[in-house]
Amino acid sequence: MSDYAKPLPPDDPANRPFWDGAKRGVLMLQRCLDCGRHRFPAARYCTQCRGERSEWVATSGAGVVESYCTFHRAYWPAFARDVPYDVVQVRLDEGVRLFSNLVGVPRERIRTGMRVRASFDPVTPAVTLVKFAPAG
Amino acid sequence: MNRDLAGRVAVAGVGTTRYGKLPEYDAYDLGVWALKAALDDCGLGFEDIDGLIINRIPDYQRFGEITGINPRYTTITPGQGRFSGICIQTAVAVIAAGLAETVALVYGNNGRSAGDRYGGASDAYGSGGAGLWFPYGMTSPGAFHALMMRRHMEQYGTTTDQLGAIAMAFRGHAALNPDAVMRTPFTLEEYRAARFICEPLRLLDYCLINDGGVAMILTTAERARDLRRPPAYVRGFAQAAEFAGSTFPPADFWRGPMQKVANDVYAMAGAGPGDMDALMIYDNFTPTVLFSLEGFGFCPVGESGPFVADGKLALGGSLPTNTSGGHLSESYMQGWALNVEAVRQVRGECGPRQVADAALVQYMTAAPVITSIIYGRDPQ
Repeated sequence: MSDYAKPLPPDDPANRPFWDGAKRGVLMLQRCLDCGRHRFPAARYCTQCRGERSEWVATSGAGVVESYCTFHRAYWPAFARDVPYDVVQVRLDEGVRLFSNLVGVPRERIRTGMRVRASFDPVTPAVTLVKFAPAG
Repeated sequence: MNRDLAGRVAVAGVGTTRYGKLPEYDAYDLGVWALKAALDDCGLGFEDIDGLIINRIPDYQRFGEITGINPRYTTITPGQGRFSGICIQTAVAVIAAGLAETVALVYGNNGRSAGDRYGGASDAYGSGGAGLWFPYGMTSPGAFHALMMRRHMEQYGTTTDQLGAIAMAFRGHAALNPDAVMRTPFTLEEYRAARFICEPLRLLDYCLINDGGVAMILTTAERARDLRRPPAYVRGFAQAAEFAGSTFPPADFWRGPMQKVANDVYAMAGAGPGDMDALMIYDNFTPTVLFSLEGFGFCPVGESGPFVADGKLALGGSLPTNTSGGHLSESYMQGWALNVEAVRQVRGECGPRQVADAALVQYMTAAPVITSIIYGRDPQ
């Protein structure tokens, strides 16, 4: 058992390839076999072309910071030690957006438009979160 | 958009409860209180209601049971602020189509006493996938708007002091409104000293959470003219949605759908932004006011910060906005009380906060569903 107290991702079977990939250090996305576009979270039908055929593919994990904000209020007790903490909105090169955290960069250097790459944080034996670090 | 609908339906009555902490009233009680006030306002009775639109109150059947209303048309909508405009537009369409003649719109919100929170495990903002981002500490509509504001700041040089100008103007209005929950004016220094909730947004950039109820009675323009109060004519209304990708903040600050709504609502009303005597802008957070002013064409894209900084949104300025104090300072009635304020302004009932000779007042909300309604003192 882990004493990790922060919320964990919902255990949605449809998204398991994403979380299994994270444990291996790979950012996996669902890709439409009809139009080729990527999506996450998982959906039966493509959100772009409504096609039903899809596969999970490995990506480079590269993207750009679209925006960021700093939480001064802890909405869960387990975040109380972290405030103030930053949340970033990342747009992957495949077009998929994620909310996440940045690692390895001081707050005053975070900017919109900065290039980032996925960085994997094994928070429990079962769950690895997908965070981001400055690219290059 | 159907221009023939302009001015055919009017608000005949409005009713509001006290606002604040009202733990002895549940959402149904608050709705009944507001509805009794709205019926008294226009001189109609419960037996005159043949259409019923319920918002945020949990169950329409129970509401009809406790009030003895047996309508020809009934619907209920989710308790999200974007639905106030949607409900009013539905009422106009129902009346214009002849499905009902006199529609009661009833809203009750006991969120303060019920301990509602808009972040954390119960966060359901957006399209339902919020739990996916909780592990990163991402939650709350406030954070969503903080992300939008940060991007606006970096793209256009907008400042938080400009947000402070909005919050101060609305608080100044609330000081003139005996119904408002927060009535003590503050200075820019006090705004700057307010604690951050989700930076760049501070406590004073957030709407209130309080209890209260609002009701509106809409009917045909002909019938409204025979009732107790001057009609507030629905001169224009329009709606557009942007659901694709809406888990995340929109890249264009909702400008695209707002421009569509602006085109439609102004065409229907036969008026433009420069003709509005006052604005009621859905102010869940101060940045939404900036985005709305740009989206509806009151100022050029990216210039909303300097636009509001000179105090033009305050009474006496060129564009008095949220004259009641809005969600930031009057009451968080999720758009309903702003629509009521628009009605009271065109009726000329607002006392010390009255906009002189208010003939056209526009309500607007910027969210994944954009709505706008233009109320007029005159039918044409």
